Amino acid sequence: MRDGFRVVGIRQTTEPPVSVSGSRRQGKPVVSVLVLLLLAVGCLTCDVFVQRNPSYLDLAHSCVAPNREFVFGTDTMGRDIFSMIWYGGRISLGIGLVSTFIATAMAVVLGAVSGCASRRMDGVIMRAVDILLSVPSLLVVILLQAVLGKAGVLSMSLVIGMTGWMSMSKVIRTEVRQIKNSGYVTASRCMGGGFFHILWHHLAPDFLSSVMFMVIMSVRTAIVSESTLSFMGIGLPVEIISWGSMLSLAEQALAGRAWWMILIPGIFLVTTLVCLTNLGNCLRRRVTARHSNL
Amino acid sequence: MISKRHLEVLMHKILFLFGSVFVLSVLVFYVSRLAPGDPLVSYYGERAEKMSPEEREWAENKLGLNDSIHVQYIRWLQNAFQGDFGISYKYKMDVTEVIGGRIGNTLILGGIGFVLIFVLALALGILCAWQEDKLADRVICRIGTITSCIPEFWLSLAGILIFATALRWLPSSGAYSIGKENSLADRVWHLILPLSVVVLSHLWYYAYMIRNRLLEEVRAEYVLLARMKGLCRRQVLFGHCLRNAMPAYFSLMALSVPHVLGGTYIVETVFSYPGIGTLTYESARYQDYNLLMLLSLLTGMIVISCNMLAQAVSERIDPRLRMDDRRNYEEVDRI
Amino acid sequence: MSELLEVRNLSVSFDTPAGEIQAVRDVSFTVKAGEVLAIVGETGCGKSVLCKSILRLLPDIARIKAGRILLNGTDITDYREHDMCGLRGRVFAMVFQNPMTVLNPSLSIGVQIAEAVKIHRPGMSRQAVEQRVLELLRMVKIDHPEERSRQYPGHLSGGMRQRCVLAIALAGEPALLFADEPTTALDVTIQAQILNLFREVQAKLHMASIFVTHDLSVAAMAADRVAVMYAGRIVEIGRVEEIFRDPRHPYTWGLMRALPILSGGGRRLYSIPGMPPTLINPPKGDAFACRNEYALDIDYEKQPPLFPVTDTHFAATWLLDERAKGLAVKAPDFGWREAGEMGTRPAAKPGSSLVKQTDQPAESDIILEVQHLTHRFPLSKKETLTAVDDVSFQICKGEILGLIGESGSGKSTVARCIMNVYRPAGGEILYQGIDVCDPKAFRTHKKMLQSSRQIIFQDADASLNPRKKICDIIVEPMKLHGVKPPRGTVRAEAAFWLQRVGMDAAYLDQYPGALSGGQRQRVAIARALSMEPAFLVADEPVASLDVSMQAQMVNLFKQLQEELGFSLLFIAHDLAMVRFLCDRVGVMHRGKLVEISPVEELFHHPKQPHTRRLVESIPVPKFDWIGQERRRDR
Repeated sequence: MRDGFRVVGIRQTTEPPVSVSGSRRQGKPVVSVLVLLLLAVGCLTCDVFVQRNPSYLDLAHSCVAPNREFVFGTDTMGRDIFSMIWYGGRISLGIGLVSTFIATAMAVVLGAVSGCASRRMDGVIMRAVDILLSVPSLLVVILLQAVLGKAGVLSMSLVIGMTGWMSMSKVIRTEVRQIKNSGYVTASRCMGGGFFHILWHHLAPDFLSSVMFMVIMSVRTAIVSESTLSFMGIGLPVEIISWGSMLSLAEQALAGRAWWMILIPGIFLVTTLVCLTNLGNCLRRRVTARHSNL
Repeated sequence: MISKRHLEVLMHKILFLFGSVFVLSVLVFYVSRLAPGDPLVSYYGERAEKMSPEEREWAENKLGLNDSIHVQYIRWLQNAFQGDFGISYKYKMDVTEVIGGRIGNTLILGGIGFVLIFVLALALGILCAWQEDKLADRVICRIGTITSCIPEFWLSLAGILIFATALRWLPSSGAYSIGKENSLADRVWHLILPLSVVVLSHLWYYAYMIRNRLLEEVRAEYVLLARMKGLCRRQVLFGHCLRNAMPAYFSLMALSVPHVLGGTYIVETVFSYPGIGTLTYESARYQDYNLLMLLSLLTGMIVISCNMLAQAVSERIDPRLRMDDRRNYEEVDRI
Repeated sequence: MSELLEVRNLSVSFDTPAGEIQAVRDVSFTVKAGEVLAIVGETGCGKSVLCKSILRLLPDIARIKAGRILLNGTDITDYREHDMCGLRGRVFAMVFQNPMTVLNPSLSIGVQIAEAVKIHRPGMSRQAVEQRVLELLRMVKIDHPEERSRQYPGHLSGGMRQRCVLAIALAGEPALLFADEPTTALDVTIQAQILNLFREVQAKLHMASIFVTHDLSVAAMAADRVAVMYAGRIVEIGRVEEIFRDPRHPYTWGLMRALPILSGGGRRLYSIPGMPPTLINPPKGDAFACRNEYALDIDYEKQPPLFPVTDTHFAATWLLDERAKGLAVKAPDFGWREAGEMGTRPAAKPGSSLVKQTDQPAESDIILEVQHLTHRFPLSKKETLTAVDDVSFQICKGEILGLIGESGSGKSTVARCIMNVYRPAGGEILYQGIDVCDPKAFRTHKKMLQSSRQIIFQDADASLNPRKKICDIIVEPMKLHGVKPPRGTVRAEAAFWLQRVGMDAAYLDQYPGALSGGQRQRVAIARALSMEPAFLVADEPVASLDVSMQAQMVNLFKQLQEELGFSLLFIAHDLAMVRFLCDRVGVMHRGKLVEISPVEELFHHPKQPHTRRLVESIPVPKFDWIGQERRRDR
C-alpha cells in the first residue's frame, strides 16, 4: 500500500533511557568537604610545617599583633597563635569525634532498645529521655565534670558525650520503629531472613543514612560544647591548647584590645562548624523532593 | 466551662509537677554532695585551706555538713517546707534574697529574648516558606545557617570587640551604669548587646524548623482541597498549613526553654550581667549547695511547667494528638 | 445548550531535571452545561494533570505551553491566581482521588465545609452557614449530620470522607465538577455507593462534570460523553453509546476487551501488552503504536489527526484515513450481549463446564489446612479487635483459592498468620501436615517452610527495599537459603526470573524507584517464585493497579501457575478479577469466612447476602441498546 498504510502490528521500539542523575551533583557541599579535609590534614600533619612550639611561653613577644614573624600574632602569654591553632585543632576536633562516638554508641543502644521494646517499655524509656532533655545541659556538664574531677581531654569527651545522646536516641528510636514495620522487613522475615540478616541488609543501610545527619550535627555540638566550657573555665585548662581554651584568655585580650586573639581562633571554629552544618544538611533527607501544592 | 474532668486533669498535672520537682531535688542534692569539692572554700575562701582539723570540724558542724547525707536531705526538706532554703555559703545571705536580687535581670533578658526569638522565627519561617526557593529564601537560609553555627560566647566576644571596644557604641558589661540603677534608658542601653546575641544565636534554628515544617505541610494534599474551595494562597498558608504546624512549634518552644535559658547563662557570664545564670554556674562550681538546690529547682520547675503548658496547648489545637500519643519531636541538637 | 467549558489545543508540560515531561499534548474538548464527560485512560496518561491544569492547581514546574481554556466563551488561560480564586469553588470544584489525605486532619468536618460555604458568601450569618453545612451533609447522605460535622476526618471511614469532600465541592454550587478517580481508593461496595451518589447529585443539581477514571465500565455508568486519553492526547471522543457501540481507536478496543465483564465467562482476560510511555521523550508518531497489534507503518512515523466518525464522535487513528479503507481492520467482538445478559440477571449459566468437581479432596492432595483460625489485635488495655474469627478452609495442591472481602475484613491477617508473621490466638494451620503455629514444629521444619511458602504483598513499593538493586532483591531468598543457582550465577538466575515475569533483563541494575507500580509487583513475584515455592500467598497484589495492569497481572499469575503448578492463595477485594483466576473463592466479612464455594457457583448462586452485595457491586454498564443493536446487526 501507499504511504505505509499496511498493518505491521506491534514493533519493538526502544525508549531512550531517562537519566535522572543530571541535577544530583548540584547542592553537594564540595567546598565544605574540601575545607574540612584541609583543616583535618593540617591538624594531623602540623608537626611538619609548624616551627614554633605552641606551648612555649615567649614572654618577650607577648601580645604581638599579626606580623611577618608571627603570622597570627601571639597571645598574652607569648604563645604563637599560628601553631596553637593547628595543635589546638587536634584537641578540639579530637574531642568532637570522641564524644560523638560515645554519644552515638549510647544513642544507638538506647534508641534501638527502645525501638524494639514493647510499647510500655518504650514509653518509659522515652519519658526518661524527655526529662533528661529538659535539664539544661550546662548544669549537667558542670555536675558531671565535678564528679569526674579535673578536666582532661578524655574526661571532657566523656562528659560531652554523655550529655549529647538524648535527641539522637529519639531519632534512632523513631527510625527503628518505622523500619521495623516496613514492608520489606516483613517480606524478608517471611523469606526466612534471620535477625542479623535483616539488621545488616535492611536496617543498617536505611538507618545509617538517617543517623549520619545526627552524627555530623553531634560533632558540631561537641565542638561547641568543648569551646564553651573551656572558655568559661570549666573545661580544659589553659595549658591544654584547644580552640576553646585559647579563647578563655578573651578577657585579657579585650582589656589589651588584642582582637587577633579572639577573632582568629573564632574564625577557625566557626568555619569548621559551618562546613559541618553544610555537610549535615546535605545528608539530611530532603523534604522538598515533591512539589509544593501551594 | 470547667468540668470535673478538667479539674481532675489539672490536679493530675499539679501532682506530676510536684513529683518531678521532688525527684529533681533528690537527684541534685545527692549528686552535688557526692561530687568531690570543698564547700568550705566557698564559705571561708582561701582560709579554708589553712584550717586545722578541729576548726574544720567546727565549721562543718556549723554548716550542718557532717551529718549523714540522708539526714541532711531530710533536714533540708523540712526547712524548705517552712520556706527556709538555707543560706548561700558565698554571699552569707538567705539564698532567696540572693536569687531575688538577680532573678529580675535574668527574666528580663531571657523573657524578652524568648518572645523575640519566637516571634521573629515565626515571621522569618513563614517568609521563607512563602518565598520557597526564591532569592529571599535562599539568602536568608544561607545567612541563617552561618549565624546558627556561631557559638554564643564567641558571638558575644565579637560583639563586644566590635560595638564596645572598637566602635564604642554600646557598653560592654553590666546591667546598668553605676548610679543609674533606675534609669530605664540606661538599662535598655545595656540590654541591647546581650539581647541581640541571645536572639541571633537561637533565631535560625527555630525559623528553619518552622520553615521546614511549613514546606512539609504545603506539600500535603489537603492544600489542594483548600485551594479548590476558592481560598487564596495566603488564606491556605495561614488558615491550614500554619495551623497544622503550630502544635509542633509550641512543643518545640517548651523544649527550647532550657536551651534559651542555658544560652542566657552563657551570655550573662560574658557580659558580667548580674543574673542567675552567673550564679548557677558559680554555685555548681564552688559547691554552694543551698544556692545550687534552689536554682536547679527553679529551673526545673520552669522547664516542666512550660512542657506541660505546651502539651496542653497543642492538644487543644491538634485533635490527632488527643487520639494517639504520636508526638513528633523535632530533633533538638543544641548545647 | 451552550458550551460551558471549551479547551482548545491545550498542552501542559512539567520542567523536571530529567527533561520536559509533556503530560498533556494538544488536547481539545468541550463540556456543555449539565453534561458529564468521562476521561478514561491508564495511569500516567495525563488525565489528572489535564483537570488540574484547568483549575490551575498544578505546582510551579508545570506550565501551560499552548492552547486556550474558555469558560462560557471567556478566555481564562491568562487569569492570575487571584482571578482563579474567584472561579474555584464557585464555578469549578474538584473531588480528589484519595479521601484519606485530602482533608485537613486537624479541622473538623463542619469547619472545613463551612469554610467553603463562607468563602463565596462573606456576609452569611453564622446560623445560615450552619444550616447550609447540615444541608450539604444531608445532600451527600451522611447520617447524623449534626454529630458528624463536629467530628474530625480521623474518625471517618474512606467512603464517609469522600462524601465530605463532595460536600465541600458542592458548597459553592459549582457549574462544573471535576471528579479525579473519586472511587479508586475505596472498597468495591463503597465504590458503587459513591458512584450512585455522584449520579444522583449531578442529576439533582444539573451541574456539568468531568469524571476521570481508568475503568471504562465506570465511565459507561456515569457519563454522557467519553474521552479516551493516551500518552497525553485524546485519542477518541464521542457520546457514550458511540464509544461503546462503535469504538474506532485500537486503544479503546484494548481497554474494552480488558474489561473483565466483557470476557464473557472466558477463562483468560485480554490485556493490552506493555505499558504507557513516559512522556519525557514521547515516541515519534502514534504513541500507542508499539502496543497496538493493528498498528500501521505510518503510525510509527506520523501522529494521526482526529478523524471525524460522526458529528460528535472523533478518533485519532490512521485506520480511519481514506487510504486505510482497504485494510479491512475491524474492531474485535467485545461480547456486549453476553455481558448484558449477565448484568441484568446474574442467574445460572447453563452448562458451565468450568466448575471444578468439589468432592471432598483426598487427604494427600491438601497442601494447606486452616482450622478455626482466630486472631486478635489489642486496641487498648481493655479492648481487643477480633480480626479473624474462627476461619477454616483447605487448599489443594495446584489449586487457586481466592479470598475476597472489604478492607478490614481480616483477609490480610489470615495471610500473615499463614506465613507466621502473626501468631494466631487460636486454631491450627497445617501446612503439609505440619502445624506451623507450633513453635517447636516450626523450628524443626523451618528451612522447608520458609522456602516452599512465599508471599507477595499488596504494596510492592514497601516490600522492595528502595536501596537495593532489582537483581539483589530477586536473589535475596536464594542467598538466604543458600540455594545453588541452577543457571550458573545468581545474576543469571535473577535475569531468568525477571524474564519469566515479563520484564527485560535490562532492569537488573535499576532501583525500585525507577519502576512503575506494575513492574514493581512483577519484581516481587519474581522474587517469590525464584524459590520455586509449592505454595504462594498473594496479598492483594493487584489492588493498587489500573484495570488494564490488573488484567496483565491476573494473566501472569494464571500463566505462571499453569507452568509451575504451585498452589495459590489469592487475596483481593474485587470479585471481577478473581473470577478469571481462581478455582474456588472464599468471602470474608468482619473476620468471618461467610461463604466458600467454586467460583462460578459463587457468581451465579451467591448464598449469603454479603456475597450478593459484592457480586452486585461489580460495575456493569446496563445499556439496553447494546443487546438490541447487536441483535439487529445480525
